[in-house]
Amino acid sequence: MTAQFLEDLLQALSAGISVGALYGLMCVGLGLIFGVMRVINFAQGDFMMAGMYVAFYLFTAAGLQALFGAYVGPYAVAILAGPPLFVAAWAVHRLLLSRVTGLRVLALEGEGHYAQLLLTLGIALILQNGGLYLLGSVPVSIRTPLSASAWEIGPLSGEDITVFVNRGRLIAALVAVAVVLALFLFIHRTRLGTSLRAAADNAQAAIYMGIDVERAHRVAFALGVAVTAVAGGLLASAYPFTPYVGLEYVIVMYAGVVLGGMGSTAGAFWGGMTIGLIQQLSTLALPTQLQNTAIFVVFLIIVLLRPQGLFGRSVERT
Amino acid sequence: MFAPPPLLRAIAPVLGFLLLYAAGFLLLSNSYYLLVFTLVPVWAVFGLSWNILSGFTGLVSFGHAAFFGLGAYAVALAFAEWHVSPWITIPVAGLLGCVAGLVIGVPTFRLRGHYFALAMLAYPLALLHVFLWLGYQEVSLPMRREDGAAFMQFADPRLYGLLALAGLGATMLLTLAVARARFGMALLAIKQNEAAAEAAGIDTRRAKLAAIVLSGGIASAIAGFYAVILLVVTPEAVFGMLVSAQALIVAMFGGVATVWGPVIGAIVLVPLSELLQAELGATIPGIQGVVYGIAIIAVVLAAPEGVFWRVADALRRCRPLPGIAVPQESAALLAPDPPPAEAGEFILEVEDLHKSFNGLRAVQGVSFAVRRGEILGIIGPNGAGKTTLFNLLNGFLAPDAGAVRLDGRDVRGQRPHRLCRAGMGRTFQVVRAFPRLSVADNVMTGAQAQGNAAEARRITAAALHALGLAEFAARPAAGLTNLQLRLMEMARALAARPKLLLLDETLAGLGAPEVEVLLGIIREAAARGTTIVIIEHTMHAMVRLVDRFVVLDHGMKLAEGEPREVMRDRAVIAAYLGSKWQREDA
Amino acid sequence: MLEIAGLRAGHGGPEILQGLDIAVGEGEFVAIVGPNGAGKTTLFKTISGLLAPSAGSIRFAGRDLLAVRPPDRPHLGIAHVPEGRQVFPSLTVLENLEMGASTASGRRDWARNLERILALFPVLAQRRAQAAGTLSGGEQQMLAIGRGLASSPRLLMLDEPSMGLAPAVTEQIFARLAEIHRDGIAILLVEQRVAEALASAERGYVLEGGRIALQGDYAVLSGDDRVRQAYLGL
Repeated sequence: MTAQFLEDLLQALSAGISVGALYGLMCVGLGLIFGVMRVINFAQGDFMMAGMYVAFYLFTAAGLQALFGAYVGPYAVAILAGPPLFVAAWAVHRLLLSRVTGLRVLALEGEGHYAQLLLTLGIALILQNGGLYLLGSVPVSIRTPLSASAWEIGPLSGEDITVFVNRGRLIAALVAVAVVLALFLFIHRTRLGTSLRAAADNAQAAIYMGIDVERAHRVAFALGVAVTAVAGGLLASAYPFTPYVGLEYVIVMYAGVVLGGMGSTAGAFWGGMTIGLIQQLSTLALPTQLQNTAIFVVFLIIVLLRPQGLFGRSVERT
Repeated sequence: MFAPPPLLRAIAPVLGFLLLYAAGFLLLSNSYYLLVFTLVPVWAVFGLSWNILSGFTGLVSFGHAAFFGLGAYAVALAFAEWHVSPWITIPVAGLLGCVAGLVIGVPTFRLRGHYFALAMLAYPLALLHVFLWLGYQEVSLPMRREDGAAFMQFADPRLYGLLALAGLGATMLLTLAVARARFGMALLAIKQNEAAAEAAGIDTRRAKLAAIVLSGGIASAIAGFYAVILLVVTPEAVFGMLVSAQALIVAMFGGVATVWGPVIGAIVLVPLSELLQAELGATIPGIQGVVYGIAIIAVVLAAPEGVFWRVADALRRCRPLPGIAVPQESAALLAPDPPPAEAGEFILEVEDLHKSFNGLRAVQGVSFAVRRGEILGIIGPNGAGKTTLFNLLNGFLAPDAGAVRLDGRDVRGQRPHRLCRAGMGRTFQVVRAFPRLSVADNVMTGAQAQGNAAEARRITAAALHALGLAEFAARPAAGLTNLQLRLMEMARALAARPKLLLLDETLAGLGAPEVEVLLGIIREAAARGTTIVIIEHTMHAMVRLVDRFVVLDHGMKLAEGEPREVMRDRAVIAAYLGSKWQREDA
Repeated sequence: MLEIAGLRAGHGGPEILQGLDIAVGEGEFVAIVGPNGAGKTTLFKTISGLLAPSAGSIRFAGRDLLAVRPPDRPHLGIAHVPEGRQVFPSLTVLENLEMGASTASGRRDWARNLERILALFPVLAQRRAQAAGTLSGGEQQMLAIGRGLASSPRLLMLDEPSMGLAPAVTEQIFARLAEIHRDGIAILLVEQRVAEALASAERGYVLEGGRIALQGDYAVLSGDDRVRQAYLGL
C-alpha cells in the first residue's frame, strides 16, 4: 500500500465520516416516519430541500448572519430551519396524508401502500417544481469561512501522510450527532416518545390504551421532516444546491434506512453513516460523477439480497 | 374473458377514435399545436405501456423512465454516431426494452410493496448518472436534407403525427388483445389476490415477467420515436423523475387496466401541461411538474381508479347491466379425472410435519392420511395450527421437516400453481374479489389450466350452473352478498377440477340456511369424485358433513376418527371446554 | 354499569352479532363463552370502538359509549386486554405498563397501581427492564393484564386470555383474575375454554351464532347439555 493511497484512503474516510453523520441525521428523520407510520415518503428529499432554502434565507435575507456571525450563523440557521418545516409537515399530514394513511390503511394490503406513495410523489413534484419557480435554478449555498478552512492532521506515522479535515463539515457533523442524540433521548425517555414507539409496534393495541394514534403519526411525520430539514440546513453550507437536490437525496436516504433496517432509528443513523462512507470511498475507484450511482447500486444490492438490513424488523418479500 | 364482447364491437370505437383524431390533425397547420397533437399519442402509448404492467397487475412501477431513456438513447446514438435509420432502430429499441424488462423484472419481482417501488425508482436514476458519466449530456440527431424520409425526417410535420397515431392504434389493439386473453385475466387475478391466483394454477412469476417484458418493449420503442421528434436527448429529459411520473399519472388519471384510460389521461393532461408550459413556462418555470403533482394528488384522493371508471360507475348506476346467457353445461364436467389404475387408497399422506416461526412451534409432528373420496374435517381450538397446516399442504409454506405426498408423489416444497395443476385446489378465508370483474370472469380464472379457451368456458359455465350463480354471471363482484361470494370462491376452486380440494373456513359467518346450501354443494362435489379436506368451526354442520375428523391442538394431532368417537374423546373435550368439564356422554 | 342492548354488528355482509343484550354490574365478574365464530371478539371490538355497530346501544356508567371516540373510551374506565396479548414488543415491561397508564386516572394512581401489578405478577418485577417481545406467552399475558390495570379501570375486558397458553399457566392467570376481582374491579371475560371461565365468574352468557343461547351461573350452565352441544355439535 503506497503512502499516497493510504493518504487518499484516510482522506476519504474522514470525509465519509463527516458527510456520513449528516446523512445519518437525514436517515433518522426518514426512519422515524417509516418506523411509526410505515409510510414511504417520496417527498422527504424535497422537504429537506425546503429546509436548505429556509436556512439559506434566514442566513442571508433575514439577517441572521449579522446576528450570529459568520461562524455560529450557519449552524444556528440549520437548527432554526427545523421548526418551520415541522409546522409545514404537520399541516401536510393533517390535510392530505392522513387521508391515505393510518389505521384503516395498515389493515389494507397493496392498495394502501400505493396511495401513500403516490400522494407523497405528488407532493414531491409540487415542491420541486414550485421551488424552481419561487427560488430560481441558480445554485446557492451558505458561505462560511469555516467551510474553507481545515485542520491538518499529520504528518502521520513518519510517512508523509497528511489528512485535512474540513472544519465546517466536522462541526456540522458534530451538530448532527447532537441532534440525533437529542432525538434519541426524546424517543426513549419521554412519554410522548414512548407512545410513538408503541404506535409503531402495534397501532391497534395503542388505541386500546387510549393513545391517539393519528396524532402520534402526525407528530412522527412532522418531527421526521423537521429532523431531515435540519440535516439539509447543515448540508447547505457544504455544497451549492438547487431546488432539484431533493430527488438525489431520497435514494441516498432510503439506501441508508434500508441498510440500517427499516423500523430501527439507531439503525437508520448507522445506515446513513455507512452510505456516506461508501460514497466517499467510492471516489478512490470511480470517477466522481458515478458517486451516486455507486450508492444506487449498493441500494439495489441490499434490497435484493438482504432487505432486512443490519438491524431491521419488517421485511416484505414474496 | 368469459363473454368477451364481439371483436368488431371492441375494435370499432378504437378505429373510430383514431380516424377522428387523424381528421382533426390534418386540419391543423400551426406547428406548435401539431407538436402537442403529436405528443398526445406518444404519451398515451407510454401510459399504455405502464398500464400493461402496473394497471393490470397492481405492481406500481415508479421507474418506467428506465425503459424510456434506454429506448431514446438507443435510437439517438444509433442515428448520431452510426447513422442507422430510426425505421430500423425503433423496433430494435423495442427489443432492447423487452430485454431490459426481463433483466429488471427477474430480481425485482422478488420484492414486495415498498421495496419494489423503491427499487424501481432507483433504476432510472442510476442510469441517468451512468449516461452523464459516459459523456452523453446531449445527443443531437443530425438533419438529413436529402434522404430525410429514409431517416424518419419529414418535411410535412403532420406525418409524424400520423406515425404516432399508428403506434397508438397498434398499442391500443394490443392492449385489447391482452385484456381479452387469458393473459390479461391472469394479470388481473394477480392484482386482486396473488396467492389465490397461484393456487388457481396461474404461474404468477411468468405472468409478471411477460407483462414487464411487453411493457418495457413498448416504452422503449415509443421513446425512440420521441427522440426522433425532439431531435435532442438529454439524460434528465428521458431518465428523469418527471418522465416516470408522466407514465404513471397519465394512466392513473385516465383509468387503470383499461385501454381508454391512458388515452383519456394523455388527451387531458398533455395539452394542459404543454400549454401551461408554453404560456407560463418563462415566467413560472416548473409549471408542468406542479400540474402533474396536483393531478396525482387529486387522483389519489378523489378518484383512485381514474376518470374512466368514475364515469363508467356513474353510467352503470343509471343503466342496468345486460345479463350474460350462460350456456347449460352439465356439472359432470367438473368431475376430476379418474385416478390411474395403480393409484393407492390414500390420495394425500402427511408424515411427521413440522413448522416453527421464530421459535413458536406452529405444527409439531402432525401425521395423517386422507382416503380417496372421503370428506375429512380438521378441527381444533383457535390457534391450533390449522391454517398453517393448509399453507404447508398447499405450498405457501415449506415445512421444516416431514413429508407430504399427493397420490404417492412427494410434493413437499412445490409452488402452489404446480400443485393446482397436479390436482390440489384450495379456497381462501378472505374472499377479495376484484370488484369490477364479473362473477363469470372471476370463476373463469379458476379454469385457466383447463385446455383452450372454449373448454375453459364450458367448464366455467358448468361451475356457474352447479353453484346457482348463472343468473349473476354478468354482475360485478362488488355487489355480492357474503353467500354469493363464498359460492363464487367455491366455483372458482371447482373450475380447476381438483381431485383434492382444501376448504378453508368456507362456512364462517354464514347463517343456518346458507350453511345448508354450501353443505349441499360440498356433498355434490364429493359425489363427483373430489376428495375434500375442510377446516371449520361450525360444529353442527361439520358433524353432519364429514366422514372423519382430525383434531389439532397446540400444533399437534390430538385425535383422529369418526365424529362420534372423536367428540367423546376426553382429550378433545378438554381441549375445547377445559379440563374441569366433567360430563360423561349419555 | 355496562349495558348492551339489541347490539347488531358485522364486518360488512351478514351480521355476526344479531341482537345481544348483556349487562355487567359494578364490580361483577361476567364471562362470555361460545365457540369460535360466535362473535366474541366482534363484541369487544364494538365496545372498544374498532367496529361500529349497525344497531343497538352500549351504555357505560350511564353514558352512551357509541358517541365517544375510540381513543377516548379507555379514559372512561374501560380497559381492553386484547386477544393474543398484543404487547409492544420493542418496549420494556415497564414501558408497556407506562403506556397502559395513558389515562388521567392511570397517571394519577401510577405509583399505587404499579405496586399492585408487581405484587400480582412478581415475574414482571423481575423482568421490568426486558423488552416485552422476549417474554414467554404466559408472561406476556400477565403483562397485558397489568397494562390494562395500569389505567385504573372500572371494567377490565379480557379477550381469550388462555389462547395458546399451557393449562398450568392458564390456571395461574385465572387465579390472579379472581384476586383482581376481589379488588373491586368489574371483569368481562371472553373465553373459549368454558370450564375455567365459568368457574371463576359470577355469571356467564353462552354466545352462539351471534346470539345469547343461555345465561346463568356455573351451577346452572354446567348442568346444561346445550353448552356442550354448542361447542361440539353433539
